[in-house]
Amino acid sequence: MIEVKDVKKKFGRKHVLKGVSFTANKGEITCVIGINGVGKTTILNTIMNLTPLNSGQILIDGEKINKHSYEKITFIPDAITMLPSMTIREAMQFMDDFYDSWNQERATELLGFFKLKETEKINNLSKGNRAKINLLLGLALDVDYLLMDEPFSGIDMFSREQIADVFTSHLVEDRGVIITTHEISDIEHLIDKSVLLDNGVVLKEFNTEDMRETEGKSIVDVMREVYQQ
Amino acid sequence: MNVHFNKRDPVYVQVIRHFKEQIATGVFEPGQEIPSRRELAGRLKINPNTAQRAYKEMEEAGLIYTERNLPSRITKDEKVLRAVREELIDEAVDAFVHSIRSINVSADDVLDRVKEKFETDKDTRGYGND
Repeated sequence: MIEVKDVKKKFGRKHVLKGVSFTANKGEITCVIGINGVGKTTILNTIMNLTPLNSGQILIDGEKINKHSYEKITFIPDAITMLPSMTIREAMQFMDDFYDSWNQERATELLGFFKLKETEKINNLSKGNRAKINLLLGLALDVDYLLMDEPFSGIDMFSREQIADVFTSHLVEDRGVIITTHEISDIEHLIDKSVLLDNGVVLKEFNTEDMRETEGKSIVDVMREVYQQ
Repeated sequence: MNVHFNKRDPVYVQVIRHFKEQIATGVFEPGQEIPSRRELAGRLKINPNTAQRAYKEMEEAGLIYTERNLPSRITKDEKVLRAVREELIDEAVDAFVHSIRSINVSADDVLDRVKEKFETDKDTRGYGND
């Protein structure tokens, strides 16, 4: 389980996170929802310890993040971080050199799944295909937790569908996923838990199936209630 | 399998309903093997946890059964199968009556029309099959 406890973060005088708390379970897809600029990416960055906290605590399976944690949790940023001149094969080699948890078998399977060839240069890939390779490089790590920052933004509908399909497969099964998005329609029926964020605070955290069952509300219904008050 | 899910009912409930429809229409036969949890998630494009939940509920309701480590199957219990059919028919009738009642029309008139519709529908279906 990832526990985010009363996390505060400011950049200069700007308070981006004003005491954010939520949990994300292993084996579940947790979606952090909010419009642009509410601190979604900052939350992921703080979980990965890419930016220091001002106060609060983050625990991964009860432990504070340390250098060994990076074999257990990975972050897929919203844009690929590999050198554009690399081929897909070279990027995979790069990941293999860096991480013990790299699983080439799974990477090869994902290449097939996305119908991409490893000889292609990242520079020459379309935006959608670059997003898929970005995703592949994270998903092919044998880690327990995956953080994904806006995996659907700016990508055509067929690529979005293909990426959504990943969430229904064994490629994600049994792992804990935290995904951020401002556009949930692609994955509304796929997520276990929603965390609604606004202006640096969590407005609501709920299990999506329970919400449908007990109140008959879709995620969008709840968003309307929470954001338009 | 292509199911369109609405956004307000729990997905697992909609999956169960889909199974009931398949059973009632005979697409799933008694004793027929059903996809594994993982396969179902892939085919319906749903969260594997949701597939798991649907199977658990159906198992408890006796709609499907699992022997040892074999794949799950549709029940052969006549009573359960009949109940599924009854349930779907009742639901459809309820919905129909609910919507027709607001138009203020007599039951006899409606029944005649329903019968008529049944006949013409059958004819057009006949063409389709030839």
